[in-house]
This record gives sequence, structure tokens and C-alpha cells, in this order.
Amino acid sequence: MAVLHSAPKFASNEGVIAAISETISVWLLEAHEEHGEVIFRVARDAVERVLRILRDDHAYQQLMEIAGVDYPSRSERFEVVYMLQSLTKNHRVMVKCSASEDTPVPTVTTLWPNAGWLEREVFDMFGVTFAGNPDLRRILTDYGFEGHPFRKDFPMTGYTELRYSEDEKRVVYEPVELAQEMRSFDFLSPWEGADYPLPGDEKAPAMPTVTEVKTTEKPAQTGAGPKADAKAADPVSPPSPDQKDSGKEKPGAPEPTENRPDRPARKGGAKDTAPATDPEEGGK
Amino acid sequence: MSMNLEESPTTEGEVITNYTINFGPQHPAAHGVLRMVMELDGEVIERIDPHVGLLHRGTEKLIEQKTYLQALPYFDRLDYCSPLCMEHSYVLAIEKLLNLEVPIRAQYLRVMFAELTRICNHMLNMGAHILDVGAFTPNLWIMDLREDCLNFFERASGARMHSAWFRPGGVHQDVPEKLLVDIGDWLDSRFFPLFEDAMSLVLDNRIFKQRNVDIAIVSREDAVAWGFSGPMIRAAGIPWDLRKSQPYDVYDRMEFDIPVGTNSDCYDRFMVRVKEVYESAKIIKQCLRDMPSGPIASTDGKVSPPKRGEMKQSMESLIHHFKLYTEGFHVPAGEVYVATESPKGEFGVYLVSDGTNKPYRCKIRPTAFSHLQAMDFMSRGHMLPDATAILGAIDVVFGECDR
Repeated sequence: MAVLHSAPKFASNEGVIAAISETISVWLLEAHEEHGEVIFRVARDAVERVLRILRDDHAYQQLMEIAGVDYPSRSERFEVVYMLQSLTKNHRVMVKCSASEDTPVPTVTTLWPNAGWLEREVFDMFGVTFAGNPDLRRILTDYGFEGHPFRKDFPMTGYTELRYSEDEKRVVYEPVELAQEMRSFDFLSPWEGADYPLPGDEKAPAMPTVTEVKTTEKPAQTGAGPKADAKAADPVSPPSPDQKDSGKEKPGAPEPTENRPDRPARKGGAKDTAPATDPEEGGK
Repeated sequence: MSMNLEESPTTEGEVITNYTINFGPQHPAAHGVLRMVMELDGEVIERIDPHVGLLHRGTEKLIEQKTYLQALPYFDRLDYCSPLCMEHSYVLAIEKLLNLEVPIRAQYLRVMFAELTRICNHMLNMGAHILDVGAFTPNLWIMDLREDCLNFFERASGARMHSAWFRPGGVHQDVPEKLLVDIGDWLDSRFFPLFEDAMSLVLDNRIFKQRNVDIAIVSREDAVAWGFSGPMIRAAGIPWDLRKSQPYDVYDRMEFDIPVGTNSDCYDRFMVRVKEVYESAKIIKQCLRDMPSGPIASTDGKVSPPKRGEMKQSMESLIHHFKLYTEGFHVPAGEVYVATESPKGEFGVYLVSDGTNKPYRCKIRPTAFSHLQAMDFMSRGHMLPDATAILGAIDVVFGECDR
């Protein structure tokens, strides 16, 4: 396929897969080139050895990034992706391995000192552990945070929220309480793209395959029966029940509602923060 | 500041042991919300443990909930000092997955505004760096130039900082002809005199040199091993610039030089940025000279929206418009890692698509992460006030570092 895009152009990928695959063939599970990116999938236990070979024998001197990805449907749900860059060959490759919560990935802090924080981030966000990393603390989340937020099953809103409590004179953590339900708009077209049943269709049997196109040129082809066919032949439809005067008064517009209906007070007891904003009480 | 003195200095003959202080998270020289736990021996730094993540907003997870187009404005909020350069990586990543052709004028516009952003970013960083080591005036002077840049962004996109102007397939709208003329005039008549004036106060200043020369020297080998990029690696004497070595958009048509340092200290990092400003100005002038007329966004109706007038007339355009702003476009399944030269270094986007209208995963590679991680190793053995100079020379912004 001709390259039309204007994304960064590095050295050609030609022959790279063959040359590298030869030296790491023992641990290599799969290698391919897609969208102009060279990707090697290797055995988890051999990550450190493979990257050492790439660094020392193939001149990929820099580790630019370690990315975690979560695929919950897989048996080993996480993927750890290493982006390598060669300054001398002007080329980039990706190396990836899969992992689960309880299968540690060997650390590469032995090869690149900057792997330390990158691994800490993957651990923090996904809970993938790295065997041999001397300092595997959380890095981006709060002190004392629980859970791994970038997993697909971690809710977008999280579990706790914090606020300053005037009573306790400190920041307190509370369970998340949303004034409005978290909304996720699904704009996927039900005709193409979406592969889930539409609401209400769950129990319907699988759709039969269509062999010939059905058309309804005449009322008889609707299959509604002779009665309906005769009705369809009527010149004018009878007036709708709305247009008949039943003598009853029609319902008017509903009573206007309150602008803000009463909401139950927050469980966390937010009312104690009132003095801070009250002009009378505040600032004391 | 908390001090853990194990021995009182007033007791006779007792040695003061190391003590630990908190630098930040609320510190004017921390360039945002950085907390550094420093272990000091007197005034000499023994160890630094930077605590980042105080500005972590979960951008990458938020992006997974949005369509490709809706996710774009999040990028402005990463490095809020150089918003358009953040968008650049993202739109290029989408275009790489789609294999989408971008019209030449759009490529020129993107390069030109990316370079204007670089100037804008360097004005802020250099000003802050100078301020951190004790000089006040130059910051005020070059902040004025930054303001000019922001005005140009406003005239192009409607927003001073969070432009959201780049689009997959081009840019959002064309710039007025007068704006291009004004940018050229500004460079010729206003920018250089003012910038040179401000720099003349600093570059040969004795105090500025005392605070920066020979501070935090990083060898070439270390710079490579620690994953340095941008001015940090160039100051170490490695002529590595993604605009040159892995050109994107129309950078391969531009003529510019890559300034490199010789000593790899904070002063070199500063000087590399000063020289880069001149190179950026060169690129902007070439863009102004060579920019052709033509469309500013891809003509593929499945990716970029139709013109408003067209939408009112043509049924197909109306459908495209409706589909793009509700469902968004679908991106073929696959994964790419696209990195561009942001003013701070390599800014990368690892985009995993599952073929739907939302990214499956969007990992952002911040420049500051690798640089800040080396803070401990760069500051060891230096004095406490040097930490601010080192931090200023790293050019760290926490919107990007913490995401």
C-alpha cells in the first residue's frame, strides 16, 4: 500500500524482521509489520534477554516508552509494550509480551536506568509486577490509592472522592456520589460496527439469511390478509379519535415544576462546609 | 519544610547528620506541582526522590471514552505551554492508522504553527529558568513576546492557549491572509530586537553563568541510556532532532540547523533553546514564503467535515456532517507509535485501535518522565540552589508529565 500519510518517516523496515528474528528466534512468538510499525511478540520470561540483544547487537540504544494495555478477554490479560529507538540506524521497533496479575515480567532496569519509572507506571496503572525492579512503588496515583485505574474494569469515576472538611480541618475521602449518572454515549451504528444485540432483541432468534429481496408494491403484498387489503382500498381514512368532539375538556399544560427539585442531602454531610462560603460566618 | 535533626547543632562536638526536606509541592521553582524529597548533607544534595502524579487526571482513560475527534482537546491540556505540538503527535498517529493524505497547505500550516508554538514554549521556559536563578527583568521582556504568539494563536483558532486547531487530515480552518503577513512582520521588526535585547542581559551575565555553567553535566552515554530527547540530548552533543531524522509533514522541505551543546550542562541546555528559537523563526519564514494555496483539510468526506455552505446544499455532505459529529469516523484496527519533536523533546502517542470510533488505548509518552527521573542522578553532589537551575533546564510541565 502506498504511504499517503505524513507521519514521521524513519529508516526502511525492509529486512529488519528477518535480521532480528534470526537472533531472537528461540524466544520469538510472532513478528509482523503493520501500519509501518515492526512488532515482535516474545516470551515473557525472555524479555530482558531479548531487549539486551536488541540493545547490544542491533543498536537500539534508547528505551523510549513502556506501555501497558489491558485486554480483559485474554487469558493473560495485560500486554506490556516496549518502544525502542536506534539513534544510529534511525529506526524504531516495538517489543511486546503478555502478562497477568500474578505473572511478573522481568525488569529491564538492568539495561536502561529510565525503565524504573516506566515500569512503576505500568505497575501503578495496571497492576503488572516487574521482577527485579528495586523500587516498584506507585507513581501517578495518590498516596494510599487502591486498585489499578487503567484496567478496563475500573470505573471511570473511581471509587473515592475527596474534599476539605471544615469539621475535621483536613481533607477527607468519601465514596463517590454522582449528582448525575455517568453517561457514555454509544454512537456506533447498529447496522455496521456494533456486534451486540439491540435492546429488546436479546431473545429473538438469529436473523434468517435473506435470499430474495422483498418489496411491497401493492397492499396485497404486505401479507396482512384480505380484510386489511380491502381497508387499504378505502379512498379516505376515517377521522382520528382526536378530531371527534367527545365533549370532554382537553387536558391543559402540566403545572410548572420547580427549577431545582429537592435533592436528598449528601451522605457525606457536606453541610459542614457551609461556613467557609457564608459571608456571615466565613473568613473567621 | 520539615527537618529531622537527630543531633542538635548546639550540642558540643556533635556532627549534624543528613536531613530531609520537602521541595514543593507548592514551590515557585518547582514549575508546577512537583514534590521532591531531598536528602541533604548541609547544603549538598545527597539524594532526590521526585514524587510526581499530583496533577494526574487520567487523560488516557478519558480518551478511551471519547471518539477520536472528541479526544483531541485533551492534548492541549497536557503540555499547556505548547498545546499545538501535543496535538501534532495525536493527529499524525490517527493519520498513520488511516493512511490519510493531508493537503500540502495544511502541512505547511501545521509546521508553521508548531514552530510558533516552539518559540512560545521556549519564551516561557527560558523566562522561568532565568527567574529561577535570580534575574527578574528578562522574564518580563520575553513574556511580552509570548503574549504576541498567543495572540497569533487566537487569530488562527479563536483560543489563546487551548487551540484544538489541528485535525486528523489537516487543520480546523484556514488562517486569514493578514495573519500570515503580520507574523512575517512581527518576526522581522519586533521579535528579534526584543529577544536579542532580553538575551543580552543574560547570556554573558556573570551570575547567570555562575549558576548554570558546569551544573548537572551529563555524558553522551548517560543521555542516551536515560532516554533523553530534545534539547536535553542535543546539549550533550548528539545532533538528534526528530524533525530532521524522522521528518513529518513538510519538515523535509525545510532548511534549518540543529544546535548542539559542547559541555552538556544547564548553560548549554539554555543556549540550545536560544539557538532553536532562531531556527524556528527560519522555518516559519520558509513556510510563509513557500506555502501554496489550496484545501486545508483532507478532501475525504469520511474523515473531515464538509464546508458549511456545502452542507446546506448537498444531501451527502449533510449525512457526512451528521455522522462525523455523532458517531465519528472509524479507524482501522492496529497499533502505531508516533513521536514528534515537541519543544521539550520526544512526545509520543501509542495508539491502539480496535476498528471502532473510539481509541482502545492511547498511551502518551511524556518528555518529562525520562528527564525528571534523571533528576536524582543529575543533582547528586550539587548544592540545594542548583536544583532549581537543573529543574529549569529540564523544562518540565506537569500537565504533560502527570497526564
